[in-house]
Amino acid sequence: MDDDQSAEETAFVVDEVSSIVKESLEAVIGRNPYEQKRVNQWVSSVVEQCLGQLSKLSKPFKYIVTCIIMQKNGAGLQSASSCFWDNTTDGSCTVRWENKHLYCIVSVFGLAI
Amino acid sequence: MDLKKVAFSPDDASNVVKECIEGIVGGVDYSQNKVNQWTASIVEHTLTQLVKQGKPFKYIVNCAVMQKSGAGLHTANSCYWDTTTDGSCTVRWENRTMYCVVSVFAVAIAL
Repeated sequence: MDDDQSAEETAFVVDEVSSIVKESLEAVIGRNPYEQKRVNQWVSSVVEQCLGQLSKLSKPFKYIVTCIIMQKNGAGLQSASSCFWDNTTDGSCTVRWENKHLYCIVSVFGLAI
Repeated sequence: MDLKKVAFSPDDASNVVKECIEGIVGGVDYSQNKVNQWTASIVEHTLTQLVKQGKPFKYIVNCAVMQKSGAGLHTANSCYWDTTTDGSCTVRWENRTMYCVVSVFAVAIAL
């Protein structure tokens, strides 16, 4: 039982991270339309909030959070990531979110210390 | 035994990225059919070149390609790591029909 608990405490749990990201997006952007003047502070707030919540989990990880916000205008957007790490301990989670006016892609990468 | 920590060099990484982008989407126009394999190729080639340098780092390479059609695009990154050894570098590139943003994150491995 102790082993299970300690494994949980030191593993990268995708669902947990995914909910943290979704909550941040809802809180910062919610139903707002794309506004050129505000989107700068939105991307910053989203990544800072996610990082804050992740570090509160107190797991032995270094984190990288990236956020892309794009206006819905018919343009195509493609994003890819490639990682060179330790497959047994490190992990990532990407959340695609949208509202009526914009798309948002947030990626979280967790690297074990 | 040399225990000095090696720091990440954003300039080196930046050059590697620029060469990879030019090599893959250098003179081409945005194509919905091909963009999938372009982004995959860019991240894979960049990663391979970085790993060849043989430095004690884990790497994450991220690439976004967007068609030029007037839409606004904003990106941000935030990192929780060791600022003395870890680092990142972001390259923004464009041609007539598309934008390409590539970010490289390097996290030091404890030897």
